[in-house]
Amino acid sequence: MVSTEQLVHVTNRRVALSPTVKLLAFTAPALVFYVALVLVPAAGGIWYSFTNWNGLNPTYRFVGVQNYVEALVEDEYFIASLLFTLRYVGFMVILQNLFALVLALLVEARRKGRLVFRTLLFLPNMISMIIGGFIWLFMFTRVLPRLDPAGALGFLNQSWIGNPSWSFVAILTVSLWAGVGYLMVIYIAALQSVPQQLIESARIDGAGPFRVARSVILPMILPAVTIGIFLSLNMSFKVFEVVYALTGGGPGRATQVVALNIFEEAFNMSYRYGYASAKATLLFLVVFAITLVQLRVMKKREVEA
Amino acid sequence: MTGVRISVRESLADLTSLAVLMLAAFIAIVPVLMALLNSLKTDGEIITNILALPQVPRFGNYLIAFERTRFLRSVWNTLVVLLVGLAGIVLFASMAGYKLSRTRGAASGIIFGLFVMSMLIPFHSIMIPLTRVSRTLRLQGSTVGLGIIYVGLGVPLAIFLYHGFVKSVPRELDEAAVIDGCAELRYFATIVFPLLAPVTVTIIVLNTLWMWNDFLLPLLMITDMTRYTVLLSTNMLFGRYGNHEWSAILATLILAMLPVVTLFLALQKYVMRGIVDGAIKG
Repeated sequence: MVSTEQLVHVTNRRVALSPTVKLLAFTAPALVFYVALVLVPAAGGIWYSFTNWNGLNPTYRFVGVQNYVEALVEDEYFIASLLFTLRYVGFMVILQNLFALVLALLVEARRKGRLVFRTLLFLPNMISMIIGGFIWLFMFTRVLPRLDPAGALGFLNQSWIGNPSWSFVAILTVSLWAGVGYLMVIYIAALQSVPQQLIESARIDGAGPFRVARSVILPMILPAVTIGIFLSLNMSFKVFEVVYALTGGGPGRATQVVALNIFEEAFNMSYRYGYASAKATLLFLVVFAITLVQLRVMKKREVEA
Repeated sequence: MTGVRISVRESLADLTSLAVLMLAAFIAIVPVLMALLNSLKTDGEIITNILALPQVPRFGNYLIAFERTRFLRSVWNTLVVLLVGLAGIVLFASMAGYKLSRTRGAASGIIFGLFVMSMLIPFHSIMIPLTRVSRTLRLQGSTVGLGIIYVGLGVPLAIFLYHGFVKSVPRELDEAAVIDGCAELRYFATIVFPLLAPVTVTIIVLNTLWMWNDFLLPLLMITDMTRYTVLLSTNMLFGRYGNHEWSAILATLILAMLPVVTLFLALQKYVMRGIVDGAIKG
């Protein structure tokens, strides 16, 4: 049994501990899990990227930059997946932000039904990308071709999944379906922080709705646009689930994105963990560079504001 | 005259905007509605007429989906992951975020910097070594282990959000507690933590959505079918190149999205706020 006095004694002593020890005591639980499950694997990934480690063989050796050379020079599938991902990112950053901004403006301009539209447009974002991908697989393979069997509309009855250029469109469609609502909500929040008097006085000065949007609202929500662009950059470089569910990277490997290429290299095809780690490190470098630019741009904005 | 012309122009613009919004909303929900509609038909009906209402609603498809995905079992597994993950993230991140926000000096800055660093690391860059680490730590293969991995991955953003919010809790409270000789952990648990409730809600919402909808991590960590999460069970039904038995599959997809969609519709306000806070401050 521990007496009350002893307990008081212990607590008092704890109060007297140095600030650093107390800081460590409060942060240790989070730190332990974070270091073991994020930082150690992150460092491990970089280390393994210089080795020929594979998942089957317990021994491995250091091979220098050989993996990186192989990935960037010889591995045509990886290079193709990089280019495919870049193209995807380009389309996503523009279209996702454009659609989200336009829809946010339209929703906010409505007097009635704001909540209904916001809810419906945001709903797809709540659905897991893997489920969304499967639902759209049904749409592309069963529903759309059936709507237009004779090909009168020209484009609905496509081999959406089997033809690489159409499956690119299919992947984009599903990504936008899932992702536009997310950015829209962020833009709506930004629009709501624009002072109403500013818009009113522009109106009184005779500015039409487009003029108000372009000259008053847009400059005010530019910080949100920066956030939106970087969010979609970050998310689309890491795209995985949609492609996994929709095309599995096919036909062949025509729609393979970087994340899927890494996944297949490590867990499905060759178990070359060291080699896949080199590709993963390259992906990390890209995301890292984007984030650094993002932080710099945001800092600059803050100084100006 | 001008007044009339302006109002005509305005109502035309209004109609256009309404039309655009309705089209967008239609595209947003039509795939879900088509899935719902066809999940109540036989496979034959799906082939003959995809748009028609089912002759008789086949709720049996849902029974098949229930059995094939061991739905209740999968939901239970997912809940275990969620509870372990949420408990760890909220508990550890609130403690750390509070203390980091209150402590000045190099040590505090370095530790906070370590956590912020995680936002630069994409999951795909750590997933390969993570499978090895989790095997070593015996976290692989169990739902509790998966929840624990989510704690490690989830604390940084939560710490970041708590760190910012703690600044709004007056420091005078701290000082009063010190004078009273209150043990700091108890002071934190009884006084500070309740005041952090708004951001705790945000963190719970964000992490629930993340863990429920995440597919890749469970895919890497869980191999035993009796421990599958809802998404893994759903994915299992897809023999990619086989003949798709769409009626049962669609029922499964609807079932799998139902919990999170219901939650969203019920707690919409918090979800939207959580999304915005997480995106802007994260």
